[in-house]
Amino acid sequence: MEKQVISARQFTIITLLSSMGTTIIIIPSSLAEIVKQDAWIAAILGVAISLLLIKLYITVGNIIPSLSFVEVNEKVLGKFIGKTISLAFIIFAYLSVGELLYFIGKFMQTEVMPETPTVAFSILFMLIIMFATYLGLEVFARSAEILFPVFLLLFVIFVIFISPDINIQNIQPLFEATTGSFIYGILLFISAFAFPSVVLLMIFPSGINVIKSAQKGFYIGTLFGGLILIILITLSILVLGATNTSLRTFPSYALAQKISIGNFLQRIEIIMTFMWITTIYIRLFIYFYATVKGLGQLLNIKDHRPLILPLGMIAVALSLIVHPNIVHSDIFNKEIWLPYSSIFAVFLPLLLLLIAKIRKISGKEVNIKKQPKTLLSEKDS
Amino acid sequence: MFITLGIVTISALIIYFEMPQLMKTGETKTIWTFSILLFIGTALSIMKGLNVTIPNPLDLITILFKPFADLLKTVLKY
Repeated sequence: MEKQVISARQFTIITLLSSMGTTIIIIPSSLAEIVKQDAWIAAILGVAISLLLIKLYITVGNIIPSLSFVEVNEKVLGKFIGKTISLAFIIFAYLSVGELLYFIGKFMQTEVMPETPTVAFSILFMLIIMFATYLGLEVFARSAEILFPVFLLLFVIFVIFISPDINIQNIQPLFEATTGSFIYGILLFISAFAFPSVVLLMIFPSGINVIKSAQKGFYIGTLFGGLILIILITLSILVLGATNTSLRTFPSYALAQKISIGNFLQRIEIIMTFMWITTIYIRLFIYFYATVKGLGQLLNIKDHRPLILPLGMIAVALSLIVHPNIVHSDIFNKEIWLPYSSIFAVFLPLLLLLIAKIRKISGKEVNIKKQPKTLLSEKDS
Repeated sequence: MFITLGIVTISALIIYFEMPQLMKTGETKTIWTFSILLFIGTALSIMKGLNVTIPNPLDLITILFKPFADLLKTVLKY
């Protein structure tokens, strides 16, 4: 199977959209619950700290640029430990696939089609994801490129149309939250916003043609994704108020329902839903692609495509198992997700960096040695 | 009953579409991985269709990471 390569611009767009993914739906409410009307300040600080995390991911990606995260694990940590940790990483990505499918099903069921069972949405959505994975990274990147302008246009329309409803009193008084809750709010925001970007390491250095500009793209994508989120969180606080935001399951949808221009242009929330379906599609694909590709590399399977259909089938079953109800998912995302994902998103990259430094595994040497080999194998396939 | 039948049909279709290609390449490892994953998928879906209680993997993670979550709670007092 030939290697698929995407451009730096496509990678920027993927980073931007995937970092927003589920964050756009769930974070406004849990953030507003913890830090009340100061949620927007927590979000700004969260984005700033996220950029540091991205620097960490780029450094990890540069240990051996020609290999993906799972392969780097094996190279740096040794065969046995590396494979065990890679398996845990793949399970982490795969459980997130189940969770995201659950979210999309629950979102559609509670807000749009109340009488349709969630499994119907899960199956339909998974079909798209499986199709995209089957066609490969390049095709997916182009689809992201097509979806991005529509997303941006809808977002601008959304912001303009909702702005008449802004009530500035909703964010007063400022700085009312305690320091502890503030720190937790920031951590929670980062855990949903930047931690999942670690999965992008499966494609980041190895599947991109110009690594130098892709590094810049990683920062830019995260920064602009963060900006859009900050605007959205601020708007939900300004329009709905802190208490109202924290009580909603999907505050951004409630925000879209508020749009009413001259009592004429109303009920356009379902058009706005396009925004979060797009972002969830991108993030879900990244998770699923990481699972399929990671499993293929873990077991040294040449072509990972035969694994897509069985894994997709399990993912649909998983989406029904992972969360029995919305309260369960709420508690999981607010309390457990942060320590669980930090293992893979913070401690594992740091460990990799440390051991690579001790073992003196430097990317450039390996890269030069590797290059003739990869060139040959590319010609073969 | 219909759910089970439907799921078995889907699995049969997947085998029908994938197996000839897999056999052609003749990689035993891929065939094994594919078969095991498909078996797990079919079994899980049928169990879910028959309303059998399936242990939730996230509950295990919750048990593992609950102490850390509680620690954060006590330290930050949010």
